[in-house]
Amino acid sequence: MNPYILAILLFGLGLGTTITFASSHWLLAWMGLEMNTLAIIPLMAQHHHPRAVEATTKYFLTQAAAAATLLFASITNAWLTGQWEIQQITHPLPTTMITLALALKIGLAPLHAWLPEVLQGLDLTTGLILSTWQKLAPFALILQIQPSNSTTLIILGLASTLIGGWGGLNQTQLRKILAYSSIAHLGWMILILQFSPSITLLTLLTYLIMTSSTFLVFKLNKATIINTLATSWAKAPALTALTPLILLSLGGLPPLTGFMPKWLILQELTKQGLAPTATLAALSALLSLYFYLRLSYTMTLTISPNSLLGTTPWRLPSTQLTYPLAISTAMTLCLLPLTPAISALLIP
Amino acid sequence: MVYVMFMFLFGLVLGLAAVASNPSPYFAALGLVAVAGMGCGVLVGHGGSFLSLVLFLIYLGGMLVVFAYSAALAAEPYPEGWGSWPVLGVMVAYLVGVCAAAGLFWGGWYEGAWVSADEFVEFSVFRGDIGGVALMYSAGGGVLVLGAWVLLLTLFVVLELTRGLGRGALRAV
Repeated sequence: MNPYILAILLFGLGLGTTITFASSHWLLAWMGLEMNTLAIIPLMAQHHHPRAVEATTKYFLTQAAAAATLLFASITNAWLTGQWEIQQITHPLPTTMITLALALKIGLAPLHAWLPEVLQGLDLTTGLILSTWQKLAPFALILQIQPSNSTTLIILGLASTLIGGWGGLNQTQLRKILAYSSIAHLGWMILILQFSPSITLLTLLTYLIMTSSTFLVFKLNKATIINTLATSWAKAPALTALTPLILLSLGGLPPLTGFMPKWLILQELTKQGLAPTATLAALSALLSLYFYLRLSYTMTLTISPNSLLGTTPWRLPSTQLTYPLAISTAMTLCLLPLTPAISALLIP
Repeated sequence: MVYVMFMFLFGLVLGLAAVASNPSPYFAALGLVAVAGMGCGVLVGHGGSFLSLVLFLIYLGGMLVVFAYSAALAAEPYPEGWGSWPVLGVMVAYLVGVCAAAGLFWGGWYEGAWVSADEFVEFSVFRGDIGGVALMYSAGGGVLVLGAWVLLLTLFVVLELTRGLGRGALRAV
């Protein structure tokens, strides 16, 4: 893509999220969300093949519908209460509409159907932007609204974790697996929203780091299906050894970073007296863990025994920048001991 | 005056039904012209003359003209208007629905005014809509710049999406 156009689009992406972060007025927040949608459309369709254009169209339609619902809800709130403050939504009707609109924006079940198909039509870099950056602005709004209906949020959360787990089980395409993984993690974030928004923020940030690592690993291996991962040992042997740990961190196993949000969420849910909900959420994580384990199995656990130095890479080394992958992998694996520090930073 | 407003609103709903009945883009654009024109008439009747003028110029004279030229470029050999049964059927269905809704919500008729903008009718120099434009450039300067930037971004987005003319991904079939 023309570098000037690319610069303008990336600037628009950054500006959109910044505007939504900095706004206290619903109209301005909506403008930021629309700018994000608009700026990423050409990035999604840049390869101009029909599958990419189809994914772009689906993304545009769902995001535009969600933004229109958000606008409608904020206008309804202005009509009912006479003000446009983001943090002052108290009437249940606009609150529920906004919750559902933002759920459609990020891909929570049962409004998740677009996410696997859209991610499947994109290349891994654009998919990474979609899964990470495009979640920030809607979450800035989700964290600020005072949820009125407890049942809605818990249903959204549990449905997302279960659908994210079960949906990903039958997939061989890596991007669809990552889409269902995204749905499951978003479910965990929404589950704890009404009890402790800080834990939602912590879950979001750890998820962003973990999924960045995964996307970048797949990108380095140029892998879009599970079978391609099986030759990863010949391209990047050290990474092949580390990726199971990244995937298990996504699955939420201690002593890796991914355990931190799940631990805090289950603890908070239990303290609030929702032990069955916590149990159901923990059991649904087993479903996701199964397909993370399947990826680890094909990638690493089936290679022939050898030392790291013995597996001489017989592909040309990748030209991809590995610095971001190194940083995100280190954070994906080693942040659990910092749980008290991170909690102190995020919980006011 | 009441009768004039009633005719304007009637024409507005008729134009809306014409657009929604899924004809070819030419006739849909005609319906949009009717809707915008009738809406401008309603606005003028309530005292919003400047806003009505701006709407006519920018919406009809700018955006609709561009849309009409684009529709003309994507010409259909057999355009479907009210003459063809599918379009007429949907049109009649919509009008029946409108009549049903009108019957449900039927109240009295009152002579309204655009209070928030036209409160002091003949006693004001700067009315709501004219003063609003001035405010948009002064107090609303930042958001105005943002709006202009977003329009520019939209231009680049559309140009990038339609890159390649007949060889690109989005093309006329």
